[in-house]
Amino acid sequence: MTTVIEPEERTAPPVRHQTPAEWVRANLFPNWYSGLITVILAPTILYLAWRAFLFFFVNGQWEAVEVNLALFMQGTFPRDEQWRLIAQILIFALSLGIGAGTASAAARDRAEDAGLPYQQDSVTGLLRRMWSLVGFIVLLLVFATTHEPGSVWNPFLVVAGAVVVAFIGYQARRFPRGLRNLGWLLTLVLLVVGFQVVSGFDAGGWVPLGLILGIAAYNVTPVDRIDSQWQRVIARFVAAAVVVFVIRLIYQTVDTTGIGWDEWSGLHLTLMVSAIAIVLAFPLGLLLALARRSTLPALRYMSTVYIEVIRGVPLITLLFMGQFIIGFMVPAGTELSDVTRAIVAMTAFTAAYIAEIVRGGLQSLPAGQTEAGQALGLSPPTIMRRIVLPQALRAVIPAMVGQFISLFKDSSLLFIIGIVEFLGVRRIVHAQEMFRGVSIAETLVFVAIGYWAFAFAMSRESQRLERRLRVSR
Amino acid sequence: MTSEISQAFSDATQAKGEALIEVSDMDKFFGDFQALKDINMNVGKQEVVVVIGPSGSGKSTLIRCINRLEKHDRGTIIVDGIELSEDIRNIQEIRRETGMVFQQFNLFPHLTVLDNITLAPRQVRREAKDEAEKTAMQLLERVGIPEQARKYPGQLSGGQQQRVAIARSLAMKPKVMLFDEPTSALDPEMIKEVLDVMVELAEGGMTMICVTHEMGFARAVADRVVFMADGQIVEVGTPEHFFTDPQEERTKLFLSQIL
Repeated sequence: MTTVIEPEERTAPPVRHQTPAEWVRANLFPNWYSGLITVILAPTILYLAWRAFLFFFVNGQWEAVEVNLALFMQGTFPRDEQWRLIAQILIFALSLGIGAGTASAAARDRAEDAGLPYQQDSVTGLLRRMWSLVGFIVLLLVFATTHEPGSVWNPFLVVAGAVVVAFIGYQARRFPRGLRNLGWLLTLVLLVVGFQVVSGFDAGGWVPLGLILGIAAYNVTPVDRIDSQWQRVIARFVAAAVVVFVIRLIYQTVDTTGIGWDEWSGLHLTLMVSAIAIVLAFPLGLLLALARRSTLPALRYMSTVYIEVIRGVPLITLLFMGQFIIGFMVPAGTELSDVTRAIVAMTAFTAAYIAEIVRGGLQSLPAGQTEAGQALGLSPPTIMRRIVLPQALRAVIPAMVGQFISLFKDSSLLFIIGIVEFLGVRRIVHAQEMFRGVSIAETLVFVAIGYWAFAFAMSRESQRLERRLRVSR
Repeated sequence: MTSEISQAFSDATQAKGEALIEVSDMDKFFGDFQALKDINMNVGKQEVVVVIGPSGSGKSTLIRCINRLEKHDRGTIIVDGIELSEDIRNIQEIRRETGMVFQQFNLFPHLTVLDNITLAPRQVRREAKDEAEKTAMQLLERVGIPEQARKYPGQLSGGQQQRVAIARSLAMKPKVMLFDEPTSALDPEMIKEVLDVMVELAEGGMTMICVTHEMGFARAVADRVVFMADGQIVEVGTPEHFFTDPQEERTKLFLSQIL
């Protein structure tokens, strides 16, 4: 005889309520040696926490940070051009808002279609992911209350403005489905515009927007009515070329110079240089990974040699080489700033690691996936683009973000080649009369908290991205 | 010995009517190991050929050679008048005419069922999205799971996944379907739903080569049964002849073990 359990008869597992005494016994003193460890560790931890509390709130001389807050943030960036940084913060906030809104809407669409549960975004969810960053911003605001006379911009207004603008951008999630790609396009365009608000819209700056909008034009050109494959491609290229030409024309007309990255410093420089290196290293690493798996021996060897050489050399060596050797590799008379050289070195370094990570992802994919594509008559590039890469890249998101975090932290090495990034600001601070040889621990802890806040937020966001993309599994 | 056997069964290896697939004198090596020896086999239009044999006998390798998932080392393979050669365009053309269903389904887990089916028609045949999706829905209707169109493969049961895989192959309107142990990875209660689809396909006039252990299916649907062992075709015959009056000792031994 079998008993059939009706669905409504099934009950949730019983919940056992623990009294505090039971909890202490089960978790702190389950047996004699665990109890011993508790007895030794608990006072130690409490003592350290007490010392930390004293350092942060009682004994710490935080004046060095308070007075130099602007210096830590933007370094020696020209003060009368500060509006550019404010504009950049606002435009980035808008861009990220639109991006988050679009991503959220896309995830909702996918889940709804497939009939899967979907967790709505919420403010608490955002805070839970970004608490390190939010905490850091609050810390900055607290320090800013002691006021820094050189600044006309009230930091509170900037933060509030950024939040409002991001919220407005987030409303992109209300866009109808057909406009998802517009959301992504706006995000990218605003990122470039936000960048160039600082660096200037000079005649040569058309490349990123030209590339983004050109590719967009190539993809949206309506060609369904054209029968011939060749004519379609030509029509698309013409559309893309027209768009690129127009962008170029606009830049040539506007042609205003801004503040180039040679004049950036502080946390601003750290964030920007890391972001640029990440954006450049990813496609380069991807190409290297594909080349390393290529059937063409020349490509394979070149890629392998590159990856193995770069991975065998410390980043700091590459940075020094960037200062002294890149000069020989570019045409005579080309002027390269220190920051440009550093970005080249960091990109070259990270790309090699990204290549190995991506290669791991490619290898983890079962052969059956490629075979299924082949059996359907798909061409090798299509198999790579539509079947292999989407899965391989998803599989390596955690490792890749880990690499990006380490790039972000390693940007502090730029300080050794004389670039004043976030950590390097300390050198200026402690060269000041007032703080020579004092408050060294305080500034160090402040910088550490700053790095950690961003790195931790990146890590949390990557975990969420991973979960979100796993919805489709 | 090899040639004697193939000689003896040369009558049976000839397909009825016009041949869609012609395999002659084919050898295949994996390193030093000879996986296929002197394979001669023709499959006619609308014919259903079931390939059986012990594991490691080269059944899967044989059909994987037909659409060039494995490269054969000697002999010729002609599919619908096109001879398989090194030319990638040639291979692509043959792959477009042959659908394949795998033991492990090999659906694309990051795409919805609908996108799994429409990917190839849109990419290879440049079908418009609406048109491709309409065909895909008809195919899902045919395999009995239209309501799963927007789901992801991971949300479906094994039987449903395999039916999606069949629909995905059919979307390319192939002239011949290759089945590589399509029910071997399924739970017993799901085997029937997949076999039903295959029977329906066969009755609809699809040319099929099935590697399978489903003897019931072989008996009911096959026009010819091919028995392979040790990389060679040992015996070929109609199901009645094959299951009731096998000629070769090796065949008798195999049948006695599984029936």
